[in-house]
Formats: sequence, C-alpha cells, structure tokens
Amino acid sequence: MHTYGSSLRVIRACLKKDLKSSFSEPLFTLVSIILPLNVLLLMSLLVISGGLAPTAVVMQDSGPLAQQFYAAMSQSHSFVLQQATTDQAAALIEQGRVVAVVTIPADFDARIRQQQPVSVGVKINNLNTDFTNDIRRALPLSITSFYAKAFPNMVTITPRERDAYPQDLGYIPYLAVPILVIGLMVGGMVQAGTAAAVEWEHETMKELLLSPASRLAILLGKMLAAFLIGLAGAVVVLAVLIALMGVWPIHWGELIGFTLLILALFTAWGTLLGTWLKRRTPLSTLAIGLCVPLFFLSGPFGPISFFAPIEQIFARLFPVYYAIVVLQHAFHDFTLNTYGIGINTLILAAYTLGGLILATVALRRSTLPH
Amino acid sequence: MREDVRQEILPSHPAEATVVPAIELRALCKAFGTLVAVDHLTLSIRQGEIFGLLGPNGSGKTTTINLISGLSTPTSGEVQVMGYEVRHHARRIRQMLGTVPQETALYEELSAWDNLDFHADLFGMARKGKKERIMQMLDLVQLQERKHSRVSTFSGGMKRRLALARALLHDPHLLYLDEPTLGVDVQARRAIWDYILSLKQQGKTVLITTNYLEEAQALCDRIAILDHGKLIAVDTPEHLKQTYGGSVVELETALPGTVVDDIRRLSGVKEVIQEGTRFTVTTQGKSDVIPQIITLVTGVGELRQIAVREPNLDEIFLHLTGTALRD
Repeated sequence: MHTYGSSLRVIRACLKKDLKSSFSEPLFTLVSIILPLNVLLLMSLLVISGGLAPTAVVMQDSGPLAQQFYAAMSQSHSFVLQQATTDQAAALIEQGRVVAVVTIPADFDARIRQQQPVSVGVKINNLNTDFTNDIRRALPLSITSFYAKAFPNMVTITPRERDAYPQDLGYIPYLAVPILVIGLMVGGMVQAGTAAAVEWEHETMKELLLSPASRLAILLGKMLAAFLIGLAGAVVVLAVLIALMGVWPIHWGELIGFTLLILALFTAWGTLLGTWLKRRTPLSTLAIGLCVPLFFLSGPFGPISFFAPIEQIFARLFPVYYAIVVLQHAFHDFTLNTYGIGINTLILAAYTLGGLILATVALRRSTLPH
Repeated sequence: MREDVRQEILPSHPAEATVVPAIELRALCKAFGTLVAVDHLTLSIRQGEIFGLLGPNGSGKTTTINLISGLSTPTSGEVQVMGYEVRHHARRIRQMLGTVPQETALYEELSAWDNLDFHADLFGMARKGKKERIMQMLDLVQLQERKHSRVSTFSGGMKRRLALARALLHDPHLLYLDEPTLGVDVQARRAIWDYILSLKQQGKTVLITTNYLEEAQALCDRIAILDHGKLIAVDTPEHLKQTYGGSVVELETALPGTVVDDIRRLSGVKEVIQEGTRFTVTTQGKSDVIPQIITLVTGVGELRQIAVREPNLDEIFLHLTGTALRD
C-alpha cells in the first residue's frame, strides 16, 4: 500500500501545503526570514560593544617620546584613544563617555632622557571592572612596548613568535561564525517548530493523524518547507556576513554543504520540539532562550579547549559546538578540535537523523485529545 | 511493508469473503492511569447502517473513536474494522475511514480546493480523475463557486460541508462524523442530514457521535448509549423507547388535584410530576395503567386535557444514566 512513490507524494503535498500556508501570512514569513539576521546583529552588538575601552589622553608634552608613548598605547588593541585638553578630558570622564583619562606630563620627554622616573596620571571610571581591568593590563603593556621601540637595548627579553596558522584571525571574523550558527539555530528551530506546533493549535493535526500517510513522510514534507524558508534566512545572513562584514570563506563548497547540514539539523530539532510542545509560544521561548547560553557555551571567543573541563564536557553535548567547528574550517581553514572535519560532520549528521527519528516517534505516539 | 506481506495472506478486502461487521469491539478497555475511559465495551456495527454513539462529555466516545482509528492503543480487548485488526492494520483502516471532526480541522488559510487537493494526496488518490472527483465533491456540498476562496471566509455551515466533502473525497467505506451539525443553523442542519441519509443509500457505514438526541433519532438505525466508558444500552431508537421509555401521560384538570399519591401508588407508574393543575405521569414499559389514571383523575374533578405520548430520547437517556445528555 505504501510505496516510495506514495511517500514522495505525501512529502511533496506537505511541502506544498506548508509553503502555501506560510505565504498566506507574508509578514510572519518575512519575520522568519530576517530572524537569523536579527540574531546576527544582536549578537554582534553584544560582543563588539565589550571590545575596546574608550580612553582620553591629555598630551601635556608633544615631544617625540611622548608621541611614541601615545603610539604604543594606540597599538595595544585595548584602547579607543582620543586626545583632549585637561578640561575636555575631565568633562568626558564626568559624562561617562570615556573609561579613563591618561595624562602624559609636560616633562615626559625630558625626564625620560635624563633617566628619571615619570609619573603618567591615570584616572579610571571603575564602575565597570571589565573595562577597568583592561586599562590596568594594557597600560603596563604599552609602557613595555614603548621601551622596546624607543630604547631596544633596555629591553633584553623579546618574544619569538611562531604562528600555527599563516595569518592572524581577527576578533570579528572569529566571532562571526558562532553568531552565524546561532542564527541558523534560531531560524531553523523557530520556523520548523512553529510549522509543527501550529497543526496542533489549529487542530489540523487530526487531518494528518487520521490519514494513512507515513508519519515520516509527513514530517519530511513539513521539514522541507521549513528548511526552504530557513534557507532564505541563511542566505540573507551569509550575504550580510560576506558582503557587508567582509568575512570571506576559504572553502565555499564546505560553507554551502555545512550550512545546509546545520540548517537541516535545527529544522529537525525544531520539528521535534514543535511536535512535542504542541504550542508556538513555549517553542519560540525555548528556541530563543537556548540560543544565548549555547552561544557562550560553545566557544564564541576562542576554542573550548581553553575552557574548564566541565564546560568542555557540556559544550560537546550540544550540536552547536560541532557546527561552529565545521564552519570555522569552512571560513578560516582551521579545526578547533582533534576529531577531524569528517567526524564532526558525521556527528552533525547523527544529530540530524536523531532529531528526525525522535520527531517521527513523537508524532507516531501522538493522539487526539480525549 | 509488513502490511504488504500480510496483504498476500488476507483477502484484498475481507468483506468480499464474508459479510463482516463494519466495526467490531470486543471487551475493549482503555485506561489513562486510574481513569478508565472505556470499560469492557463490546459492540458490533453492521455495514451500511448509520450508528449513533451517544453520551455526555467524558463518557468515552472520543476515546472509542481514537481506538477505532488506531490513534490510541487499547489497554485490553480488540477492535476490528471491516474485518481488519486495528493494531496491525491501522493504515489500511485509516484509508477506509473518512472523518468529519467536530472542529472540522480545515486549513483556514488555504482555499477549499487546496484543502481537498491536500487530502487527496495524503490519501494517495490516483492523480488521474483527482480533479474531477474534487469538483464532484464540491458540487455535492454546493461549494463549487467558492472553491478558490479561503476557508477562513466561510460560515460555520460551509466549513462543515467542506469537511464532509473532504471526508467523502477518497470514497471511504466507513464515515465517522463527530457532532456533524454542532453550531450549524437549522437550514444547513437539514441539508447535512440529507447528505448523511444519502450516504446510507450509497452503502456507506456511518458512525455519528452527537449530543443532539433529535439528530440521533432522525438519522440513526441504531444507537449506543455510553456513560463513564460503559455501554448502557444499544438498540434502535424505537426499541429503546419501547424498552426503557414506557409512555408519558400529560393531564390537565380543573382544580389542583389531590390524587397525586393515589396515582403514584398505581402499579406501572414510575413518576408523577405535578405543576398546579397539570400532571405529567411516566409509566413503566408497556403498561395498561392509563385507564386507571383517567378514572382516578375524573373521580375528583373535570379532566380538561389529556395527551399520551412516547418518551423522547432525552428522557430515556436520563432514565438510563441518571444525568441529562448535555450536563
């Protein structure tokens, strides 16, 4: 009675029906498509805003050594510097527009040339200890790098760096990948979960459950529709990431393949959650609520091997981690764990299959209200 | 795949081999924890009959239907539909079953045509002739002119008609209608009743759950009354009335009577209700007590009016279960 042909027809029918239903609510579909982009922007703002400490520098001495010291500070990757007069700097820190005011004294050059101690004034707004500690760390580093450049003979210890990768990777390009994964997660889960839950909310699940159609075929059709809408969202995010933020992938083929796999994974899990929860509100709350902790757990700022062992164990329980690993490889050609890209891909495929199987079981076990 | 293998052993349709009941329930039980929703239900529904399942909310009607359609697994007992055991042939049974759920379960954002087209694909209807069949069904329920309209723009009656068209689309052997006229105006109700009666003429078996006893009386060949998951009675509406109803005698006298206690003492009188000069006397079974009642009443005053009628199903239901159907 049930051949592959009839299952394909059910898949096609469910796909067509869900797409038609989605397009009948264009606003919701548009919101679904730009949801991953929203996540990208939100997460970008969240992490970028915490990067560099705005600092005012009062240059009472404009000699060459004072200028070199200013240059050393600006190259420390910790400050956003602006020069100001004493009064301007006082106003800036008063208004909370800078974290610190560094004052280079009028006799800076003269005292250094005479090898006399120099006191560089630092006034810190220590309300935010994160920024405060940035200043406390970065200023001594600036002093060291100033001496290393101005008086190389006085600094006898120099680092000899050997890089593991041919080029440095910036903070933003590194972060862009976990943000992309979270965008795909939220977009895929919300779209697929909503499509499943709405069948229960509108009580149309009866039409599906009372049909002889294979439950797997029904879910595959529904997932495919959610996947296609999610894909539109993924294309928008990738376009912004590549064209506007300038994060170019090294392996385009991997990028396309892994993006499709990751989207399929979260579509399957969204379908499972939608089938299980049967309501859109808890589904959306859960999907959006999960994204922030999973983002921070899965190594957004660096490999999780730098984390505490317990954090590493937790991170490895969730597919977000493996998705970040494979996409970092696609974008930047480095592998964040020792499993190899093949194994990471298989793990993601297993999660996808697991989600699909569990969703099918959940639907098969579903019954109508009593 | 297991069903395909089984198909070779079973006749393609068991009904072709012998006349089997459309639905057969044997000692069917379904418990949810400590709650017994269906309690040793044994019932046989013949092919081609319109069968009514009556009972108040929570009586086990929906659970029974879920068990029949394979959406729920019995705790014990057996369900057969057209000779097929539900446990092993759920898909085949769903293929033979057309359903009109109470809430219609239509995709309101889609058109009437899209709803039927989707249903046809879900039920694996042949592509050839699909369009003609959809047109035929839309014609039957007089919705052809609105075929491209969104269902959300339909009235309650139109939605119910469309749900009926959808249930009939794949030409099921057995049709299940859950409260088919709930929320439908009188005119549409009459039209739906006519459709249902025409289905019987086409040889379809129709299972109806309803809270409207008038509807059950108008449509059903037989009625089963369920209460707390148990089968209280099953019979034709007429026979139920004869067996459980007796007669209802309504009298009006000139003066408030003093004979109520005398009437109550008569053998065969079940209940006497007095409202001023009016009496409603319910007798038990086929009783010859009516002349004795008239004698007693006329003995104390003038009898202005008397009417003897059969009890309605509401009264029978009340008699059998102790509660009104819509309690």
